[in-house]
Amino acid sequence: MRDREEVTNKVSQFLEQIAGPDIQITPETNIAEELALDSVKVLDLLMELEDEFDVSVPLNLMADVQTVNDLVNLIEKTITDN
Amino acid sequence: MEYAATGSTGYNFYDARGNLISVLSYARLMHDAQKTAKCLMGLGLKRGDNVAIIADTTPEFITLFFACRYAGVVPFAMPVPVNLGSHDIYVKQLRGMMSVSKATAAIANKEYISFLEEAVEGLGTIRWAGTLEGLMEMPESDQKIIRNQQEDVAYLQFTSGSTRAPQGVIVTEKAVMSNLRGIVRDGLRMYEDDRCASWLPFYHDMGLIGLVLSPLVSQMSVDFLRTRDFAVRPIQWLRLISKNKCTIAFCPPFGLELCAMRVRAADLEDLDLSSWRAAGIGAEMINPQILEAFAERFKSVGFNAKAFLPCYGLAEASLAVSFSEVGHGLEVMNVDTEVLADKGVAVRVESDSKKSNIFVNCGKALPEHDVIVVDDNGDSLPDLRVGRVLLKGPSIMSGYINDAEATQRVMKSGGWMDTGDLGYLSEGNIYLTGRHKDIIIINGRNIRAQDIEEIAEQQPEIRTRETSAFSVNDSNGKSTVVLVIENRLSSVEERQALISRVQRLVYNAFGVKCFVELVSPHTLPRTSSGKLSRAAACKGFLERTGFSNPQSAQADSYH
Repeated sequence: MRDREEVTNKVSQFLEQIAGPDIQITPETNIAEELALDSVKVLDLLMELEDEFDVSVPLNLMADVQTVNDLVNLIEKTITDN
Repeated sequence: MEYAATGSTGYNFYDARGNLISVLSYARLMHDAQKTAKCLMGLGLKRGDNVAIIADTTPEFITLFFACRYAGVVPFAMPVPVNLGSHDIYVKQLRGMMSVSKATAAIANKEYISFLEEAVEGLGTIRWAGTLEGLMEMPESDQKIIRNQQEDVAYLQFTSGSTRAPQGVIVTEKAVMSNLRGIVRDGLRMYEDDRCASWLPFYHDMGLIGLVLSPLVSQMSVDFLRTRDFAVRPIQWLRLISKNKCTIAFCPPFGLELCAMRVRAADLEDLDLSSWRAAGIGAEMINPQILEAFAERFKSVGFNAKAFLPCYGLAEASLAVSFSEVGHGLEVMNVDTEVLADKGVAVRVESDSKKSNIFVNCGKALPEHDVIVVDDNGDSLPDLRVGRVLLKGPSIMSGYINDAEATQRVMKSGGWMDTGDLGYLSEGNIYLTGRHKDIIIINGRNIRAQDIEEIAEQQPEIRTRETSAFSVNDSNGKSTVVLVIENRLSSVEERQALISRVQRLVYNAFGVKCFVELVSPHTLPRTSSGKLSRAAACKGFLERTGFSNPQSAQADSYH
């Protein structure tokens, strides 16, 4: 099993690429609001994470993801459930 | 259905890695649907009641859809949540559809049941809400299954995700059967050994009517991939086509773009797309460049550009209005941009001569259907003159559910229906040039401008009828949603906060980034009757911003 830090790093790394150097990514960063990812970017993010951690993130749970922390929790939970 | 059930064909469902996870043969579907219908009938619903189903790409949804028809109730498909952080707005969208349709039962699978339960709270018409498993535990009715009549309503199709005023298209058995006949016999000329692959959502007309119902009536097998799995890895859809030698697969241009963008060179190695004879393209304006890029990308693995099959359809016509000639590929007309803008006339030019617009031939209307183009007074226009596209024929809807006003707006005298599209005819072939300004099409989805305005108007700082939403295209043909808001805020912080909040809410509701411009009161142009004109608002916006790329213009709008 992969640890939480690894998941956090991967998520932050990906978001930093998209957001650009001016935005600091923290666990509290609101993905939809502050980073304004469009639907294609969200899919890019999912593809990266799913490939990296070999999971399939359920759509129904994405509806409750607001912050980076929420996303990390979700990925972690999906890995555990696998 | 009874015919389909005599064969050995059916629906196959695949997971994100391309493994077959379940099979629903048409014979099994008939059996399961009839059994489920008995339980539905046991709920005490009246014939013709509307039943809401959250439509994930599963065998359960299809079973429930047909169970409703056997039970004499009217199913309608509701979407699954697709956007990050969309929980609250998604629940409101579900509630809106069930409320306007006065649904009496609502069903979701266990992944989505919590959203559904939240949405039905306080809805007085709902007699039962639960999962398919829950439904199967209900006592079976001993009533007989009664055959549906031609005039019975077959299903409702919602066309917008508005929380306050969603529009549900009413389609009768007669209308959908006539449309299916047109699709299968005339549009696609389906053969016995045809096979389909689809990732289109079951809650869209193209997914449900085009790739669930039409294969069924022609006893063809379909390989399904969930929309989400396609969007993340479009290669899986192409692999299904390749592996199962599929011949028919439909896709909006946006999906083809995803394929060309995400598929890696290594993915092409064991791919063979030579079986694909009909690549139906529709659901949004067709940009020929996207098709050309796709054909170029996949030529080496046997994709034949002649397979492109541009078509035109809308939920209000059950699904299909016209198909181009199957096997002929993309046919375009280059039209003089200036003459088109000034006079509304399509004048053919050589592709490389002057500045031109390229429009795609979407073919002739299906048999028994007629298309005309009219001006704003409703007078019929000759060939090559741009106007409103009207449709007449047996496939058209009966109206919008419980919305006489919206129905009246589109149903014209003489049996004609206003499609909401603009275009012209040339020797009977339909060329679309755009939509009336009140519909924004982005990434294959229809968003009503008023739904975006409605979100803004719910903010305390914004008054009703002081917003205008529309889309603009940059020089690459990429659409961006623009929302202009009249506003009195003077502090930079307050203005920025409002812009961010509106952008977030629009994003949560529709999954699109929008460009927000705050302007002072009385900036938006109004007609003599005080109505806002979106077309004029768009013109004003373009003049103010000199806009060609909204992303770079964004910073300026904050001041």
